[in-house]
Amino acid sequence: MQPTWQTPRPALLWMLISVVTTLALHVRHLPLWLLGAAALTVLWQIQVYRGAWQYPAKYIKVLLTLLCFGGVLSSYGHLLGLEPMVAILVSGFSLKLLEIHHRRDALVLIYLAYFIIVIQCLFEQGIVTGLIVVLGVTIVTAALAGLYQSNHNNQTDSRGILGAWFRPFRSSAVIIMQSLPLMLVLFIVMPRVGALWAVPKEQGSGVVGVSDSMSPGDFSDLGGSSKVAFRVEFEGDIPAQSALYWRGLVFSDFDGRRWSQSGSWGYRDGSLLQWYGDKPEPWDSQATRRGDALTYQVTLEATNSPWLFALATPKPASQDVALTRDFRLYSKRPLSSKTQYRVKSWPDYNLEVSGLSSWRRKMELALPDGFNPETRAIAEQWRQESPDTVALLNRLLKLYNEEFIYTLKPPLLGKHTVDEFLWETKRGFCEFYASSFVFFARAAGIPARVVAGYQGGERHPSEDYLLVHQYDAHAWAEVWLEGRGWIRVDPTAAVAPERVEMSFADLFGENKDFLAGSLLSLERYRHINWINNLRLRLDALDYAWAKWVLGYGNMQTDLLTSILGRLDPLRVGLFLLAAGALAMLPVAVMSLLGQEKKYRDDLDKFFIQFCQRMERAGITRRPGEGPRDFAARIQSLRPDLADQVSSLTALYEQQRYNTATLDSRNLRLKELRLKLRRFRPYLRSKVT
Amino acid sequence: MSSVKKIADTLVERIGAILIGKDQEIRLALACLFARGHLLIEDLPGMGKTTLAQTLSAALGLSYTRIQFTSDLLPADIVGVSVYDRDNGSFEFHPGPVFSQVVLADEINRTTPKTQSALLEAMSEGQVTVEGETRQLPQPFFVIATQNPATQSGTFPLPESQLDRFLMRIKLGYPDPAAERKLLSGDDPRKKLNNLKASINELTLEKIQSQVSNVKAADSLIDYVQRLLQHTRALPQLDNGISPRGGMALLQCARAWALMDGRQYVIPEDVQACLEPVCGHRLSGAANDQEVTSLIQQILNSVDII
Repeated sequence: MQPTWQTPRPALLWMLISVVTTLALHVRHLPLWLLGAAALTVLWQIQVYRGAWQYPAKYIKVLLTLLCFGGVLSSYGHLLGLEPMVAILVSGFSLKLLEIHHRRDALVLIYLAYFIIVIQCLFEQGIVTGLIVVLGVTIVTAALAGLYQSNHNNQTDSRGILGAWFRPFRSSAVIIMQSLPLMLVLFIVMPRVGALWAVPKEQGSGVVGVSDSMSPGDFSDLGGSSKVAFRVEFEGDIPAQSALYWRGLVFSDFDGRRWSQSGSWGYRDGSLLQWYGDKPEPWDSQATRRGDALTYQVTLEATNSPWLFALATPKPASQDVALTRDFRLYSKRPLSSKTQYRVKSWPDYNLEVSGLSSWRRKMELALPDGFNPETRAIAEQWRQESPDTVALLNRLLKLYNEEFIYTLKPPLLGKHTVDEFLWETKRGFCEFYASSFVFFARAAGIPARVVAGYQGGERHPSEDYLLVHQYDAHAWAEVWLEGRGWIRVDPTAAVAPERVEMSFADLFGENKDFLAGSLLSLERYRHINWINNLRLRLDALDYAWAKWVLGYGNMQTDLLTSILGRLDPLRVGLFLLAAGALAMLPVAVMSLLGQEKKYRDDLDKFFIQFCQRMERAGITRRPGEGPRDFAARIQSLRPDLADQVSSLTALYEQQRYNTATLDSRNLRLKELRLKLRRFRPYLRSKVT
Repeated sequence: MSSVKKIADTLVERIGAILIGKDQEIRLALACLFARGHLLIEDLPGMGKTTLAQTLSAALGLSYTRIQFTSDLLPADIVGVSVYDRDNGSFEFHPGPVFSQVVLADEINRTTPKTQSALLEAMSEGQVTVEGETRQLPQPFFVIATQNPATQSGTFPLPESQLDRFLMRIKLGYPDPAAERKLLSGDDPRKKLNNLKASINELTLEKIQSQVSNVKAADSLIDYVQRLLQHTRALPQLDNGISPRGGMALLQCARAWALMDGRQYVIPEDVQACLEPVCGHRLSGAANDQEVTSLIQQILNSVDII
């Protein structure tokens, strides 16, 4: 029989609440069976506490552990990656509930709870997440506080049993509040260290975005998602809606079904990436940028891919952002969390105007054999009928305009996607148009490529920034014309010009099926005015959080330099100390004021004064040393003070402990005051 | 007032002449008696436990019996039995040794719990019930029990609830070298004991006992006692703190202590002097006596008197 340690009741309550909170935080990344198992351990612990059940035997615990491992492995298929790791940690955490034999077990559980709560920040960093994490930490601290409050004090709590239950939470809340100022200081001053390790996060789990390949059908999901893709703040005016083509990926490769980026990128003139701040690559001169540049800052939600979005033709203005060979932007790391970057774009540009080299031309004209014979034949025929490239493309666009219908629910296509779409179904959305247009152009001998990204955006009415949603995802074409370089052609605009000129949501606002999947989305109710306002307010708050809190790392250096003049370790360290001391000052003052309350009356103040004077003379009263004992000690150490001390002590003792002389109290107080005034033990020469 | 101090000093001096070098313990035993409590002396054999009890009763002029507790002692051996009287043709009660003013219960932990509880009932009620008839014990009634440390073999340690009936528990300990020398070179203390004369009588003792409850405990002193009690209840080393009954006992002893010092009011030093004897055996959770002593010292050092 092992010695059993009983968890204090309030501590157990708060421990269980912590476990539930911790699990609730991670509900979205955990498999359902794990939540069930965790609930079982909570129940088990409750039963153990009630004395109804026993803690499981060792072999059962081993079995449960193995089961959890197996479960995680079968749920995710692998163990590497953030989600499976969190799942393993959480299962270990909940199994720990089955062996709380000592206080140290409870402590392990509590420390793990802190860790697991903070892990939540790897997944989400929104303002709501921040508040929830603070609440979670408060609850876990309450469990920790409860662990150190003994059972007996609970019964004597003046606020009754409920007060006893809540006492740990009260002390925890006070501790958290007291630490807030220090937290702020650390937030402002602590240097931001880059990620020490990268955690691979599950690809595509719940995060929608433009994917790195496109086959008609992909984008119909995106059309329905009202999540924010990114937000843009322009220095100056926001350009017209029809000019907002956010280029993300360029697809030059077509295998008959799927458009993808050129295999091994296929480029042969210099490095593919030109990092911000580096010397321009030779190919950079292929872009002619004219006129005024647009400068803007993009706050991109996590996408788990490195593609960044920008207007043509961009130049990065942030660290760790590169310009690619096809003049898009690329991030050094896949974006696992919200990211900010600055861009300069020249809307007036020419790309590769001086001509395409033969390998480039070959790349942009390549077509897979054995696909879409009809389109190839017709393109060939049109080419012969009108040798003028522009006229040929216009003929195709006219065809779109006259015979095609824009729809989000196109019929399925067979093997020859372009043939079937162009000559049979004639219904589809942007991908279908971009794909068929580029295929047709290539078949007619015109270099062309598909560009994927976003189009348009919603102007925030009060905060002056642009909101781009996932449903703004778009695909369009670029064709290369002799003497003009790459020209953007949006075949979708030929079919449904409103799609480009209006925001996507305005276009489909009346259609109830659009966004049918998200009943709870505020977006769905945007035609109700106040809900729409609320939605925009919330978005503005979220954006401010992203800009000032999450994006603070970018501003930190500037801010600290402006405060300190120059950044060196000594200055930063001193600033940290000073600001920390300043932040903790109110707490210190409050606790000092709290102390003062102990001293109740003049009499005690006299005694304290007496002790202080003795302290100056080198004799300190020990805590718990009574006046009489103290006087005896003084007399043995300083015989010269004997008379004064004994009369003072006798007076004090009489006043303090012999209430019979209460009547003459005021008179005696005066006497005491006079005697004390003359009492200067630290001026040795005078007294002796 | 000062008469109590004088009486106490005389008593200490007289008893101290026999039990050499243990003035502090004698004072505590007297305080316990004045506070109408019972005394438990715990120490190894041969430390003078019995001598203290005998001297005390002789110096106080009280009737005295001694019960040597053994493992086969029965309750009837303590409280007495009714014996058939052939002359009268009726049962006659023969009072046991407990019917005395000072009862020395020697080695109380040698006997069985059943017998222990017979004595302990008498201690708490001041009366005994034999064969359905309740009989009052003489007044004043003062039990001095001695006990060997429970680690010795063949003992039945007293449970906490019964320890609580003793107002004080004191230890005698080895005498210091000077006192021991005096003891070795002097006469046999037992001889002196026979010559000891009573310094006070029952009446005086009763007067002193009633004076104890009149000693004043000011608000600030009660505050201090409360802080002490609270502190013991919050100590992580202890399972339980001092109970309210323990707190009352502490204050009562401090009063007696103050009175013996010639004061009509209690000061913190009185409380501090009484804390270990009164509360040492009421604290459970400490491993051994040394730990209790250091714990009490720690409590005294950490609770401020103001």
